[in-house]
Amino acid sequence: MFSLFIENIKISVSSVLSNMTRSLLTALGVVIGILAVTLMGTLISGLDQSFEKSMEFLGKDVLYIRKFQWFGNKDWWEIRNRPNIQTKHSETIRNKSQYAKYVAPVAEWWTSVKKGDENVSGVRVSGTTEEFAMITIAEVDKGRFFSRAENRSGARVAIIGKDISDALFQDKNSLGERIRIGSYNFRVIGEMEKQGKFLGMFSLDNQVIIPIGAHQRLFSRRGWTGINVKVDEADLDNATEELTALMRQVRRLRPSDEDNFAINRQDPFKEQYAMIKIAIGGTGLFITILSLVVGGIGIANIMFVSVKERTKEIGTRKALGATSKMILFQFLMESVIICLFGGLIGLGLAYGGSLIINSFFPSEMPFGLALAALGLSMIVGIVSGLAPSYKAAKLNPIDALRYE
Amino acid sequence: MSLIFLKNIYKIYNVGGEEVRALDGVDLTIKENEYLAIMGPSGSGKSTLMNMVGCLDTPSSGDYEFEGEKVHNMDDNQLASIRNRKIGFVFQTFNLLPKATAQHNVEIPLVYANIKREKRLKMASNALASVGLDDRMHHKPNELSGGQRQRVAIARALVNNPSLILADEPTGNLDSKSGQEIMNIFDTLHQNGNTIVLVTHEDSIASHANRTIRLFDGKIIEDVAK
Ligand SMILES: Nc1ncnc2c1ncn2[C@@H]1O[C@H](COP(=O)(O)OP(=O)(O)OP(=O)(O)O)[C@@H](O)[C@H]1O
Ligand SMILES: [Mg+2]
Repeated sequence: MFSLFIENIKISVSSVLSNMTRSLLTALGVVIGILAVTLMGTLISGLDQSFEKSMEFLGKDVLYIRKFQWFGNKDWWEIRNRPNIQTKHSETIRNKSQYAKYVAPVAEWWTSVKKGDENVSGVRVSGTTEEFAMITIAEVDKGRFFSRAENRSGARVAIIGKDISDALFQDKNSLGERIRIGSYNFRVIGEMEKQGKFLGMFSLDNQVIIPIGAHQRLFSRRGWTGINVKVDEADLDNATEELTALMRQVRRLRPSDEDNFAINRQDPFKEQYAMIKIAIGGTGLFITILSLVVGGIGIANIMFVSVKERTKEIGTRKALGATSKMILFQFLMESVIICLFGGLIGLGLAYGGSLIINSFFPSEMPFGLALAALGLSMIVGIVSGLAPSYKAAKLNPIDALRYE
Repeated sequence: MSLIFLKNIYKIYNVGGEEVRALDGVDLTIKENEYLAIMGPSGSGKSTLMNMVGCLDTPSSGDYEFEGEKVHNMDDNQLASIRNRKIGFVFQTFNLLPKATAQHNVEIPLVYANIKREKRLKMASNALASVGLDDRMHHKPNELSGGQRQRVAIARALVNNPSLILADEPTGNLDSKSGQEIMNIFDTLHQNGNTIVLVTHEDSIASHANRTIRLFDGKIIEDVAK
């Protein structure tokens, strides 16, 4: 039986190849279906990777006291009229909170950074305290973070991100060098490690970190401010409650007043991301199923045509000793091969597409999904080939031989 | 022992409520190494009889034994197996696969007999050589003349050493010279001990056979041996 199996495959392959254009057109639905499902998988795997990294940046155990709720749905006017977070409250929190392990105020402003003729614009200038180094997961790669004393004295020292060191210093040493942040001179004392992009949107490395005192004196108070609080992961909920109470206290809110600040953490990102993932997955799946169904119908149709065209061949084969099963298998094989062929083309295109996706953010085509996709195209081949193949198998040899 | 034994065979079609008796009580015995021609006017049932003998068709009623085996009780798979091992068909329209080479065409019955590739190739080349086509093995049908195509078809019918070779108007689509060549091959096969049944309209073709039956309206009306 095995040699018959091989022969049947050969017969099917040669018949598919001899009708190349037709097979290609027929397989188009499967090509698109497989392309959609694998590209979707690649996209999601890439998003997962980049999302994980970005979530690491936010940290599991850090609470962010901000003016806005991340992904909140509060009225815009209400939010706009809220007071800014005052960085001095970080002292209150540090003194009164029993959950806070580290507290760092953060003020941000965007301006250009220069060194000689080199100029980087739109750099995020973060002012904070030395405790920031304990909260962020990013490490200082070269040099050091500023000290408590430097922070107190408002020293003009800066830790620069990787984008800045690449642009201004290339391979040269940056430590001890002077740079201009906006129109003020600062001395570089450290370089942060490379962190990549946040959710693929903006570079975390396009920043400089300076003591908050200097920041507030030099860069107005117009940028946004917030307070980052590191707690134990187990205490997140309690700490959120406690910080809310503390903030309400410093803001002197009456019990009937609503919170006019927000305590953020990474969770809503996860929920939001899960929804995006479902949306992408759902769309991909929808396109996949639709094109596989349409493609499957097309294949069934072309197989019916093929059976009709080759009625005489079927009669001859039966006269020469082919059983119904062998004929069934031959045509089933043919439709499976058309589908596999389409599946492989789809995978090839998807691989190309995954390289393109990869140039935007790191991602890879999931191997298991590629295999499943091939399996899926085989199933489409079997399902859509079944009726035409059965028709071929059941042909009466005499009628088939008489067919003109 | 007779090779073919048909007794009281009927093949009845129902076309639009009307009964068509393609075979109407046929008795026929064919012995080994017979060379039989079936003649008769168009529509008299020649092809129907030949298909019956070739196990492609089953009778509406009647008994059919092939080498002592009761064919009329067999299922489709058993019939396919008999056709594959015991019978070689030659058609008026050649019925070669257009995209396959001569050698591959001849191989097909061996594929269905599940014979290994090396052996198949050898048997196919031998069969092609025996019809004088050893130099055309890798040609496709459209690269061959009509006579050559029919010779490929004969090689295909011969390739698994069948007990019986059936040919339905094998020269019907050929000019007289090619037809003559084909008949020479059948004559040689007969001399080598093969049993041959052929359907023809032409007396000149029938004259090669050593027995001729004549059909009319599904009945055998004449049966003469030379
Ligand atoms: N499938 C069928 N349905 C109905 N009638 C049929 C069928 N097949 C054959 N017949 C009828 O059976 C009769 C015998 O047909 P058959 O093909 O055996 O004739 P034939 O002698 O081979 O004719 P020719 O010389 O033209 O080939 C014809 O009247 C034909 O119309
Ligand atoms: Mg006929």
